[in-house]
Amino acid sequence: MFRGAFSIWGRDMLVLRRSIFSELVSVIAYPLTLYLAFGFGLKGYITAVNGVPYPLFIAPGLISMTAVNAAFDESSWSMWFHRKVQRTIEEYRVTPVTVYDIVIGKIFSGFSQGAVKGTVVFLVILILTPFRIDYANLPMYLLCIALSSMTFSCLGTICGTVIDKPENIGRVQSVVIVPLIFMAGIFFPLSSYPSSILPLIQLLPTTAVFEGARDALLTGTIPSQYLVNLVLSAAFCFTVAVYTFNRKMAE
Amino acid sequence: MNFAITLHDITKSYDGFTAVDAFSLEVQRGTVFGLLGPNGAGKTTLIKILTTLMRPTLGDAFVEGHSVLTAGKDVRRMIGVVPQENNLDRYLTARENLALHARLHGMRPAVYNPRLDELLEMTGLAGRQHDFPDTFSGGMQRRLVVARALVHEPRVLFLDEPTTGLDPQSRRSLWDHIRGLRRTMTVFLTTHYMDEADALCDRIMIMDHGHCLADGTATQLKDAFSRAHTYQVEFRNDADRYQGVLAGLPFVKGVERDGSLFQITLADEASIKPLMDHLAGSDIRRICLKEPSLEDVFISLTGEKVRE
Repeated sequence: MFRGAFSIWGRDMLVLRRSIFSELVSVIAYPLTLYLAFGFGLKGYITAVNGVPYPLFIAPGLISMTAVNAAFDESSWSMWFHRKVQRTIEEYRVTPVTVYDIVIGKIFSGFSQGAVKGTVVFLVILILTPFRIDYANLPMYLLCIALSSMTFSCLGTICGTVIDKPENIGRVQSVVIVPLIFMAGIFFPLSSYPSSILPLIQLLPTTAVFEGARDALLTGTIPSQYLVNLVLSAAFCFTVAVYTFNRKMAE
Repeated sequence: MNFAITLHDITKSYDGFTAVDAFSLEVQRGTVFGLLGPNGAGKTTLIKILTTLMRPTLGDAFVEGHSVLTAGKDVRRMIGVVPQENNLDRYLTARENLALHARLHGMRPAVYNPRLDELLEMTGLAGRQHDFPDTFSGGMQRRLVVARALVHEPRVLFLDEPTTGLDPQSRRSLWDHIRGLRRTMTVFLTTHYMDEADALCDRIMIMDHGHCLADGTATQLKDAFSRAHTYQVEFRNDADRYQGVLAGLPFVKGVERDGSLFQITLADEASIKPLMDHLAGSDIRRICLKEPSLEDVFISLTGEKVRE
């Protein structure tokens, strides 16, 4: 069972391994720049948020952002490229693997890329900056990253499955993913929102991703409403991704 | 049961267009079967149905006894597919492309590695096995796709226009590989090239608009559909006068002229004698029976109009 998914995941990991250094340089540059620009640039103006030093306040969110962006990018572009350009999905489909193997393999590839790249950004921030954590909190944080990466990998898979024009994947990222990420309080506390829209913001899966990650890393616990949100989002997106891919392949 | 492929009244329609219409077929095991037809005839649709990439609207098809509707996975275990366009993974080396295919078929490295060595040797790619397909010529990429389709030793090999876009040397080289497979497996081939079908296929079917138009060996098709009463006559002089004479003869069914060379289609074989009686022997430089080609058969069945 899932032998095919494992083979496809293995293929993606082999390709990642080959280009790991160039991939990581480009992946690290963006969050590290944000960390240095906001964490240090604004340190003189914003010393602490809810008692947490500002660089420490934004670091968990930046690491999570790297992970979920990487998961979304890998899943969406890889699925689109293998389906429309390289047509390797068609090659997979004439072997005895099922469409479930293919979509699950691709989702796990996105998830793995997110996890690897998030971990590397975490290590780089740890090495290059005074950012320190209590390592006992790490398991909860990793759980949060895993669920978040799974959700975004599934969202990417859905986009790569249904979108035929590559520019439209870019538009989804600009219009949906980036606003969802930035609205979720990576750089500012949610209490900054007017109380009328705060409940809506708290329902966003990205709020669960970033607030959950911050709480997990700083306190070792994920608030139950965020944990439920993360689990339900991952499960829902996984179901929709598998269903969408199956439907698309049956066309 | 001695049929590798069986189709029962297969129909495929999309958006009101019928690509394949109640198509039935049985292909003998161990033979090379060629499906010919112009663009849009329904060839690729049939291959997609047989390789489980597409479900028929009506009917069912069986590959080595397994239904494409209810036993797709078993069908896919039995088949190798060379699609119209090379769908190699450009981020994997030639060998890795083959190895991934083997793993998708559940083969273990101890089993597939010797097989990969054998196939890379057979296709002349052993020396380039660690290179990426992007660095290969079109012919080499095509040979790699064929090698990939053979990794798991399929019982039925589908080749969808396998030599389109290749130079003559690469085409002939690929033909040699396909000839080498004859008898060891059933080969289902679609092509636009009549010489390819003539050279490779034990049986040929010509289809158009989703229907079968003709079926048989290359020789049978040429015999049945040839213009057996077509002669080429070349005159030394007075070609214009002879054109008028030919136009007035009731047993001449058609005349095509190219300078002093005439292609004359007669009503029947017996018409040759009265034709000779009407033509002055001394003005004829040469006369010969025109041998039909498979292309003549194809054009006579599918028409000369260019398809979109």
